[in-house]
Amino acid sequence: MFGLEGYGPLLLQGARLTVYVGVCSMAIAIVLGLIGMLCKISASPVVRVLADLYTTVIRGIPELVLILLVYYGAPTLIQDISAMFGHPVYISLDPFISGVLTIGFIYGAFSTEVFRGAYLAVPRGQVEAARACGMSSALAFRRILLPQMMRFAIPGLGNVWMVLIKATALISVIQLPELMRSADIASRNTKKPFTFFLAASFIYLCITIISNLIQQWAEKRAERGIRRA
Amino acid sequence: MQETSVVLITAKNLGKVNNTTEHEPPQAAVRIKDLYKYFGSLQVLKGVSLTAREGDVIALIGSSGSGKSTLLRCINLLEIPTSGEIHVGEEHIRLVNNRRKQTVPAEHRQVDRVRTKLGMVFQHFNLWSHMTVLENVIEAPVHVLKKPRKEERQKAMGHLEKVGIADRAHYYPAHLSGGQKQRAAIARALAMEPDVMLFDEPTSALDPELVGEVLRVIQDIAKEGRTMIMATHEMGFAREVASHVIFLHDGIIEDEGAPEYIFRKPASERCRTFLSRFF
Amino acid sequence: MEIIVENIPRFLNAAWVTIQITAISVFIGFCMAIPLSVIRVSIRKIFSWPVYAFTFYFRGTPLLVQIFLIYYGSGQFQEQLNAVGLWYLFQSPWFCAVLSLTLNTAAYSTEIFRGGIQGVPSGEIEAARACGMSGVLLYWRIIIPRAIRIAWPAYTNEVIFLLQASSLVSIITVMDITGVAGEIATRSFAFYETYLFAAGLYLVIVYGVLWLFRRIENRLNAYLRAESA
Repeated sequence: MFGLEGYGPLLLQGARLTVYVGVCSMAIAIVLGLIGMLCKISASPVVRVLADLYTTVIRGIPELVLILLVYYGAPTLIQDISAMFGHPVYISLDPFISGVLTIGFIYGAFSTEVFRGAYLAVPRGQVEAARACGMSSALAFRRILLPQMMRFAIPGLGNVWMVLIKATALISVIQLPELMRSADIASRNTKKPFTFFLAASFIYLCITIISNLIQQWAEKRAERGIRRA
Repeated sequence: MQETSVVLITAKNLGKVNNTTEHEPPQAAVRIKDLYKYFGSLQVLKGVSLTAREGDVIALIGSSGSGKSTLLRCINLLEIPTSGEIHVGEEHIRLVNNRRKQTVPAEHRQVDRVRTKLGMVFQHFNLWSHMTVLENVIEAPVHVLKKPRKEERQKAMGHLEKVGIADRAHYYPAHLSGGQKQRAAIARALAMEPDVMLFDEPTSALDPELVGEVLRVIQDIAKEGRTMIMATHEMGFAREVASHVIFLHDGIIEDEGAPEYIFRKPASERCRTFLSRFF
Repeated sequence: MEIIVENIPRFLNAAWVTIQITAISVFIGFCMAIPLSVIRVSIRKIFSWPVYAFTFYFRGTPLLVQIFLIYYGSGQFQEQLNAVGLWYLFQSPWFCAVLSLTLNTAAYSTEIFRGGIQGVPSGEIEAARACGMSGVLLYWRIIIPRAIRIAWPAYTNEVIFLLQASSLVSIITVMDITGVAGEIATRSFAFYETYLFAAGLYLVIVYGVLWLFRRIENRLNAYLRAESA
């Protein structure tokens, strides 16, 4: 359909990095989401308020601003602080690491809400029955609550992933050569921006479609024992 | 203190003879003294004491809201009583006040340990929906008691056989009828080989035609000489199976005694009114 | 700190740009989404399929790609656009920003309102039919008003997302909050101060808009409240 003028491999390489960044960020988001959820149901009011603060603040700030803040702001902040103590250091962040951390941190807030909803969806009796068998709260969480929560969390986590993978395009502004950046480079060199951005958009579309299929499969699997035969 | 020990020794010598003194013999499987439970300003239990000796089948009867469920749930600490004493077997469950003046167990380990000796059957079954029936039954023995999976599978099949749903071992709970679910839940409780079985209105959530199959299973277990405490609305069953009936009203024990006594000529007017609705 | 104080007028100006761009896109997007969602639920595939393709593309690809496709990609068709006299529009970053945000939010909103339409209890539709309503009248008087109320919480989220997503227009040189923050930051090297301030500004606007939409929701749901409550 398009002559990609030899830039096809570059785009595919970019796509691979996009998926890689997405998977790494999602892993961080899931871990943070679980921690955030546990904080939200914690008995300590201080912990609960901190978790609420995390989700409300993060969800109210654009991803782009946070990415710029972490990538450009964090090193200068550290430099300023170290200079204040008389030990000037110069640091710069790797775009990959700061990008993945920022995206993971942002979507950790969204995952927290997903997990909280899933937690509330598990009937109280399920954990009660586990505790009545003498399971400790940690064991009951691992064996009973977590697997059942996952079932309710999968649709929500799927949505988080869909939004997250598109958000990784923003990391191109800090020069990480993922799909968007590769398309940008190719379009500058060939003077055919429409061709290359359209090609990139179709690759994103493919990622979305594949993700959708995986999500449907996962939901079906997670529904084992739920639907009547 | 000295007096206590003397009585205890006497009690031991007396063996299984029914002891009517305040100090119960050590073979009491569950002993509760002066249990109070408030939910905020709502008093649900107002000083309940009961003793279940080994082999006792105690039926808790009374209208909804009389405190039957709460009493059962206090025994295995699913509800923490506001005050009172709970002894399970040899263990006295120690309760302390935390900083916020709430009563909490002194040692969570102890609570977990005691719970393994108390098999609980819930009104709404509470089978773990992500596991098959067989997985439900072996879950706690394998992961809490750390017993070998293979043996437990075999034993679990035996329990499922006993409750009559061995053919449903590999079904998920959602694919069972209410009666089958409750029988699976009973097998799950039996698998822990508990000293005492607690039943919290095990047939109240069932369609009327399924009640019989569950009651038959419970009756079979009672015949084996298991200690049981059961909150129930099935008066016929209580009369036939229980060795001791407790009528709870408004958080206190209004009347109690052998079934012949409770169902024939209870002293309490309230108990008579309550029972007249059934017979 | 002085840098922030000095530039407060510029930031306020930029906040106005952010609000303006978002509001215009939300308004046009809403007007597009209502008829599109009705077509989307049409049983006739010839009508519903093109709408589905539109929403699928714009929801399945990153907004950044869409912005680049319209802003940079239009350059590839300069001659043709010149011929029909539209080139001057596509030269303007502001126009391209609003166009891409509008199409994007129209796609998301269409699916949200589709969900709303499908959530209207069938009994209410039957009752309307029993009164002799049909076609446009049925949609205009009964289904759409009900669907909007059902979909309103989800639509609120979409508006909040768009407000934050509008920060991307800074990448094509529109001077919104993020654009101004970026310019000030690179000139003064006060990266974290400016981006933190920008983040705070977004937080205020986001929760302001959230408050506004909740009030509208209350107004819309007046029928759910008990009388004189």
